[in-house]
Amino acid sequence: MPSPTKGPRLGGGPAHERLLLGNLASQLFEHRRITTTEAKAKRVRPLAERLVTFAKRGDLASRRRVLTVVRDKSVVHELFTEIAPAMAERQGGYTRIVKIGNRKGDNAPMAVIELVLEPLTAKQATVREAEAATKRAAKNRSQPVRTTLPSKKPAEDAPAAEEPADSAPAEPTDAAAEAPAEEAKESTKPAAKPRSRSTKAKPAKDEA
Amino acid sequence: MAVPKRRMSRSNTRSRRSQWKATPTTLTQTVEGGQVTYGRPHQARVVTDSVGTPLYLEYKGRKVKDL
Repeated sequence: MPSPTKGPRLGGGPAHERLLLGNLASQLFEHRRITTTEAKAKRVRPLAERLVTFAKRGDLASRRRVLTVVRDKSVVHELFTEIAPAMAERQGGYTRIVKIGNRKGDNAPMAVIELVLEPLTAKQATVREAEAATKRAAKNRSQPVRTTLPSKKPAEDAPAAEEPADSAPAEPTDAAAEAPAEEAKESTKPAAKPRSRSTKAKPAKDEA
Repeated sequence: MAVPKRRMSRSNTRSRRSQWKATPTTLTQTVEGGQVTYGRPHQARVVTDSVGTPLYLEYKGRKVKDL
């Protein structure tokens, strides 16, 4: 839920701002890309992304919620039937704002706000798959580690027999954990968060 | 409406104006095709053809807007 904006409303008052942002949002959904001032682009972004979230839900109630902001039924239809399926894989971040310099007339900083309609890149998809894989590996690993470790300590004199059995399940999980960690450097911070937690948890388990 | 009581002296006016300063524009360095170019940070860049006619705005390798 976006936090309310501080300071004065856009336009003449609260009602004017609502209308203004609603119109901007419907224009954005109609044309996919609009040019406006930076301030308006920043204010319309949370509203537009929330409307896309409603559209992804796709039921009648959410359609009515969207219709209270975007008055044009044909635009709402387009949003629910064309834009929402394109955004199905995306978890937020449905719009992109690019600053394009100042306007000639009044030197107002302008921006282009557009819907991010490109499909997720292969890299992002693999990162998500790898994340799921590490999560599964961590889950699988936590159970065998407890059972094998006590048995390993008394059998230290004869490790040759046990090592292949111990290292075989451990190595693939390590490799799976390291591969996404390298990708994580390039990926965004929120995506890296859950992974860092999982890597932190791993040494603790090794010590135990 | 508040109105100044006395005329401001030439000295005071000039002292105030002497504080006006131009600030240098912050620029970022980018290398494209072996050539170093400078531009404003986080701003789309104008792409021109060989004659110098502006074609479109580009940011991070993505076409942003036609001109």
